[in-house]
Amino acid sequence: MRTPYDFLPDVSKREATKLLPWVMAIMVYLSALAATGSLVLHSGFDDWASSLQGRVTVQLTGENREEMNDQSSRIQEVLRATPGVELVRPLTEDEIRLLLEPWLGAGNITEDLPVPIMIDVETSDNIYVNLDALESKIKQISDNVYLDDHAKWLDDFLRLAYTVESTGLGILVLILLASVCIIIFGTKSSMSEHKGTIEIMHLMGAHDLMIAKAYQNRFMKYGLRGGVIGLILSFITVYGLLILVQNLSGGFVETPTLPYLKMSLLLLFPLIFAALTMITARITVMRELARMV
Amino acid sequence: MEFRNVSMSYERGYDVLKDISFNLPSGSMHFLTGPSGAGKTSLLKLMYLAHRPTRGEIMMFGRDVAKSVREDLPKLRRRIGVVFQDFRLLDHMTAVENVALPLRIAGGSGAHINEHVEELLVWVGLKDKMSSYPSTLSGGEKQRVAIARAVIRRPDILLADEPTGNVDPEMAERLMYLFVELNKLGTTTVIASHDNGLVEKFGSARLHLVGGKLLHLEGTGKRPELGESKE
Repeated sequence: MRTPYDFLPDVSKREATKLLPWVMAIMVYLSALAATGSLVLHSGFDDWASSLQGRVTVQLTGENREEMNDQSSRIQEVLRATPGVELVRPLTEDEIRLLLEPWLGAGNITEDLPVPIMIDVETSDNIYVNLDALESKIKQISDNVYLDDHAKWLDDFLRLAYTVESTGLGILVLILLASVCIIIFGTKSSMSEHKGTIEIMHLMGAHDLMIAKAYQNRFMKYGLRGGVIGLILSFITVYGLLILVQNLSGGFVETPTLPYLKMSLLLLFPLIFAALTMITARITVMRELARMV
Repeated sequence: MEFRNVSMSYERGYDVLKDISFNLPSGSMHFLTGPSGAGKTSLLKLMYLAHRPTRGEIMMFGRDVAKSVREDLPKLRRRIGVVFQDFRLLDHMTAVENVALPLRIAGGSGAHINEHVEELLVWVGLKDKMSSYPSTLSGGEKQRVAIARAVIRRPDILLADEPTGNVDPEMAERLMYLFVELNKLGTTTVIASHDNGLVEKFGSARLHLVGGKLLHLEGTGKRPELGESKE
């Protein structure tokens, strides 16, 4: 394949397109950060949701503790006898106190406070457990028993995850649109700068495609160069933030897990931006040239 | 090259060329004369396909180029050599690169291009200026580079807009002899000039424009003999 004839002069210091690789670097940097943030949150939501999925909490309330303990034992028997139930574990009083502390305050939970009995139940992924039927069954033991499959929480999480992902995607789309606008502006600016050269090429019989190829190749290099710089900077930023979180938390806050496999897709960003720059420049040049005779 | 009732205007303005008709035989040489603002450059623009007429037909290369589709024009333009009044050399290219431009546009590449270009630059007396950039060349040198660029592909039609306007009389005469030599090779040549002395000296046929109208067509356009025209 013949190399396109690059008739354009080297980029001068005063030329606006000289800044284009840096603008592209910023765009790729922001895109990569938006995508990383979205992926990390998505991964976090996945972990969260999967930890809740397959878990059911049975809550038993009442005023007579002895009666409650008796009912609890019978409920546990029913639960253990249900196909698909893999684990039945009543929470200890200390565990229940810990759960209540954020709401009532430490030390405010007295002995006479009617705390409920809570039973943690894990169900199998492979065997379907009809929770409605199970709840009806245990309600025959006590009217004050409730079965919570966390469906509402999961729905909220999924909604939040969807919103976060949509926002991340929206930011990416906005960055791409802004990039396209900047490339169009840069191409037109460069064409204006080299108007005389383009006119001469045109009058000597250069096809539009020949002129467009010179531009698309040049702009593709801008996109690729800027993309690589932006991606490297974004990786440095993410790595720096991770270290910062690790140092600050000291184990108190869980360090977010990076979904490395999905994040490897970020390596495509410079190529995507190079292609975007190339195609946008080509279309812009062809459209501008079409105005000439 | 034949113009039939051609008129032209810019951006819906008034007609800068009005109902122009003439026929230039292949291999002829004509001067295009007239006062400033008469429409000489506009007429040349139509000839080198930089503009379309608002009315009329322009027959070139066996077709009406006024109605040719845009995609066909680059190929036709490659058969036309143009020497612009302001040279329009590309400042970022050396003399060799400027002259080689039409060959590169036509898809040529490799060492034979440079060999051919250097040969032509020697012929126009720029042997020592091959690697020079236009900014370091004198007006006459630039003009010769522009001429070399216009003729490098042996065009069927050569158009020159005031090619002697920026050079001293001696250089102007030398350049005119160059055009005559090129015309001898069979190139249809049209030279726009308001230098009546030069036109009379070379005694070629003349298209005379006044106010956008072709007043008269003098002569046959038959190539003058150098000996006859010189004195």
